[in-house]
Amino acid sequence: MNGWPSFWRDLLEQMPLILAGLGQTLQLTVLVSMTGLLGGVGVFYLTLSRQRLVRRCTQGYISFFIGMPLIVLLFLMYYGLPQWGLRVSPFWVAVLGFTLNVAAYNAAYLTSAYNGLDQAELEAARSQGFSHRQVFGLVTLPQVLRLSVPALTNQAILNLKDSTVAFLIQYTEFFARMQELAATNFQFFKAYLLAAMVYLALVSVIVLAARAVEKRVAIPGVHR
Amino acid sequence: MTATPLIQVRDLVKEFDGQRVLAGVNLDLAEGDIKVVMGPSGCGKSTLLRCLNRLVEPTSGTIHFRGQEVTGPGVDVRALRQGIGFVFQQFALYRHLTVLGNVTLGLRKLRGLRRAEAEQKALHELDRLGMAEHRDKYPGQISGGQKQRVALARALAMDPAVVVLDEPTSALDPVLSREVAQLIRRLHDEKVTLMCVTHDLQLARSIADQVVFLDRGVVRAEDSVARLSADHPDPQVRAFFGRETGT
Ligand SMILES: Nc1ncnc2c1ncn2[C@@H]1O[C@H](COP(=O)(O)OP(=O)(O)OP(=O)(O)O)[C@@H](O)[C@H]1O
Ligand SMILES: [Mg+2]
Repeated sequence: MNGWPSFWRDLLEQMPLILAGLGQTLQLTVLVSMTGLLGGVGVFYLTLSRQRLVRRCTQGYISFFIGMPLIVLLFLMYYGLPQWGLRVSPFWVAVLGFTLNVAAYNAAYLTSAYNGLDQAELEAARSQGFSHRQVFGLVTLPQVLRLSVPALTNQAILNLKDSTVAFLIQYTEFFARMQELAATNFQFFKAYLLAAMVYLALVSVIVLAARAVEKRVAIPGVHR
Repeated sequence: MTATPLIQVRDLVKEFDGQRVLAGVNLDLAEGDIKVVMGPSGCGKSTLLRCLNRLVEPTSGTIHFRGQEVTGPGVDVRALRQGIGFVFQQFALYRHLTVLGNVTLGLRKLRGLRRAEAEQKALHELDRLGMAEHRDKYPGQISGGQKQRVALARALAMDPAVVVLDEPTSALDPVLSREVAQLIRRLHDEKVTLMCVTHDLQLARSIADQVVFLDRGVVRAEDSVARLSADHPDPQVRAFFGRETGT
C-alpha cells in the first residue's frame, strides 16, 4: 500500500477542519454526557415519586426512549419538525435527542443500583425525620451514584461512539471530516484507521478518568 | 412523674391486606420508664413500633405522644419522628458516611446546627458510648456491637423524648448482648425513656422488671418474666416463656 505522501499532504491541508470536527465531537459528547447525567438523576428522582401517576409516566418515558433508536429520534426532529414550522440547528437537535435518550438509560442504571440499596438505611433516614427529598439527596443519591460509576462511564463511552450518528443530521463532527478526507484521496483504509485510533485514544481517556473517579468515591469497608 | 404517660396506645389495629397484625393493642409508657415488649415471631412487634412514628399507618385506634394524638391527618409526621429515636435491628447506618457523619447528619440537616457545633454534640454522644475514637471509620469497617452503639448515638444525639429499639441483640453474640443490656440499663439510669422489642429473655430480664407479652396482635399479659414463665394461667404465655427458659 502506498500513497502515504499524498495522504499526509491532504491530512495536513484539512487538519484545521478535522480538528474543528474533533472539537465538535468532544463538545457534543461532553455536553450530552452532562445533560444526560442531570436528566438521568431527574428522571430517576421521578421514578421514586410517591404519586403513582408520576411513577407510571416516568416508566413510560424510560421505556419509550430506550426502545426508540436514536437515529429515528434525530431524524424525526431534524427532518420532521420543520414540516411543522420548527427549524432547529443540527447541534441543538443532537443535544436534545441525545439528552432525552441518555437520560432514559442513565435513569435505568440508577434505578438498578437503587434496587441493590439497603432499604433499612432509607427507612432509618425517614424515621429520623428527613423529608422525601432529603432522603433522596442525603442518602439515596450519594450511594446510587457511587454504585453507578461503571455504568455511567459506559454510557459516556457510548455517547462518544454514537456522536458519529450526528453527521447524518448535518452535524459536521470528527467522523464526517474523516470521511471527507478519505473522499479527497481515496485512501479509505488510512483515513478510517486514523479515525479508529483517535476514537480508541479518547475512549482510553474516559476509562482512565472513570477508574480514578471510582477509586476516589469508593466507600471504605464496602466491597462489591 | 407526669400524670399523662409519654406514649399512650389505645385499641391500635393494623391490617395488611385484610390480615389483622395488630388487633387492639393497649399500652402506656411513662416518662423515664422502660418498656420491654416480647412475643413470638410475626406477632406484630415491629409493626407496633413502626406505628408509633408512622412508618406504618395504623388502620384504627389512637396513639398519644406527649399528650397529642399522632394518628390521623394534619399531624407533623417529621416533627413526630424527630422526637422518637429509632434503633433498627440491623442498625441501618448510612454506609457512605463515617461514624461521625452518621451522627451529625440529622443535627446539621434537621436541627440546622453548623458543622462544628454538630460535631461537638456528636462527639459527646459517641464518647458517652465509647465510640469517639472510631469517629472517622465507615460502617463497613466496624463490628456489629460498635454499629449498635453508633446507631444508638445517632438516635440519642437528636435528644429524642423516647428511644425505641427493635431487637437490639438479635444480630449480636452473647457477650455483646450483655454489653447492650448494660448500656440500656445505664440509659435508663440516666432517665432516658426506652421501649425495647426483643426475643431475648436474658436481655428482657436484665433490663426490666416487667415485660409486655404480645401475641396475635394483642397484649396478653404484663408481668415479671419469672411469673410469666412459671404459673401464668394463659397457656400461650406459659408456652412462650416456658419454651424459651426451659432448658
Ligand atoms: N408491609 C407489610 N405488608 C404486608 N404484611 C406485613 C408488612 N409488614 C409486616 N407484615 C406482616 O405482619 C406480621 C407481623 O410482622 P412484624 O414484623 O410486626 O412481626 P414481628 O413481631 O416484628 O416479628 P419478628 O419477631 O420476626 O421480627 C407478619 O405476618 C408480617 O408478614
Ligand atoms: Mg420484627
